[in-house]
Amino acid sequence: MKVISLSTEQAPLISIPLRFFITAPLFLLLAGIILVSGTGNPFASIHTPALLAATHCITLGFMSMIMLGATHQILPVVVGRPMPISWLTAWLTFIPLALGALLLSAGLMLSKPVWLNLAWPLLGLAFITFISASLMSLAQAPARNHTKTAILLSILALAGTIALGMLLAHGHANGFLLPYAKLATAHIGLSLGGWIMLLIVGVSYQVVPMFQITPNYPEWLGIFLAPALFIVLLLSLLPLMPNSEQHRVTIFAQTLFWFLASSFAVTTLILQSKRRRRVADATLSFFRLGMVSLICAAMFGLAPLFFPDIDHLAMLSAVLFLLGFAMSLMHGMLYKIVPFLVWFHLFRCGVKISVPNMKEIIAEKWMWRHLWLHCSTLIAAIFSLWWDMAVWLVSLGLLLQSIILGYSLVTAILLYKHILKRIEVI
Amino acid sequence: MFSNLMHELDVRGLPPPEPFENIIKTLTTLPAGAVLKVHIHREPFPLYEILLDGGYTWQTTRLKDGNFLIRISHTP
Repeated sequence: MKVISLSTEQAPLISIPLRFFITAPLFLLLAGIILVSGTGNPFASIHTPALLAATHCITLGFMSMIMLGATHQILPVVVGRPMPISWLTAWLTFIPLALGALLLSAGLMLSKPVWLNLAWPLLGLAFITFISASLMSLAQAPARNHTKTAILLSILALAGTIALGMLLAHGHANGFLLPYAKLATAHIGLSLGGWIMLLIVGVSYQVVPMFQITPNYPEWLGIFLAPALFIVLLLSLLPLMPNSEQHRVTIFAQTLFWFLASSFAVTTLILQSKRRRRVADATLSFFRLGMVSLICAAMFGLAPLFFPDIDHLAMLSAVLFLLGFAMSLMHGMLYKIVPFLVWFHLFRCGVKISVPNMKEIIAEKWMWRHLWLHCSTLIAAIFSLWWDMAVWLVSLGLLLQSIILGYSLVTAILLYKHILKRIEVI
Repeated sequence: MFSNLMHELDVRGLPPPEPFENIIKTLTTLPAGAVLKVHIHREPFPLYEILLDGGYTWQTTRLKDGNFLIRISHTP
């Protein structure tokens, strides 16, 4: 048995995470517009300007915006230590991230080197601030759990992602001679497989058992999964070494990564099948869609090793990972975290009679509508690899999703302000 | 002699925010000098700030089975 002592004053102001969350849907809308603004099918190649711009809108403007906001909230709740000077850290990450994501997407779409040269220092500032503050918080945190390890490794992967991303943007804008293909592969691997995957793994260790009332993740999985994923990612970086011919290592690392990712997805689905309260829940369905998509992404990610002549398999895997897995989980987590935050901060005000039930804060019917719309967008994105017209459906889907998500979040914020005003009057 | 001063609450397996609500509800009826022993499945970091605001002291113990035991009492 272990006696734990803790610091208090842990919860950041509610405005800090909500600022990030409410901005994210705007980038989803922008991604939808960008996809149909280019010439031809943007999904034809990973290098089309429209796909590059839309992808960065989604990964930086939407996903990283949510992940940074969520980390501000998660660190004090899960490891017991907030970000240092959280209001200042939040502003120093939020503003440069929003501006940097806009400039980078516009610069990639319109091939404007000046905008790229403005974007990468802004994004560098945002992420270096975030990484430094998070590492300080983790170093001082009293808690010892698997989530803390996964978040730490995720942030280290983010540091690599950002270093490579800044180098790529700077080199691209100024015409430097660099091994772009190798650097881009490492950038994508660290971003999707490291920063996004590891943070989702770490947060799921808490969110799935806590909100979905499932058994805890097995202890062995908590101990080994995040470090194993991180080691595999490091292995996948070996081709960056000069004069390196590491084809076999790359194949080994890819195979192991998809095996580990699938293990996480299968374990999560098994845990969810053992949940104690068997009621339909849109956020649970977002998680299940995400886990099934991750298994499919692994299958299509490994398929080129056995069927090298079939086109689009790697792109299909990327679409399933990004839209099917990562985006589904972001939606599912937001629909749990935001009502909880609103409830918690109203509860802290001390007038318990006025506090609504968590389920009343965002109407569940809108979550279900969003889920079906998200499924349709994912299917359209898969078809768009072969059928050009489906790109319009993807664009429309992203646009409508941004409206539904934005509406749900605004509803929650207005409810919070309304009740807060009533409490102040009392 | 002190049995009436020891109260127990088990909130293991309840979804958020029910553990929170049950603990606060029980604390409102906790007599002065009494101790509330809470059995909970995860460490409730956000609760601590509310306990401090409400004038309570607490001691958290991590148990071998992964659950937590929190002893809460009024600050003397």
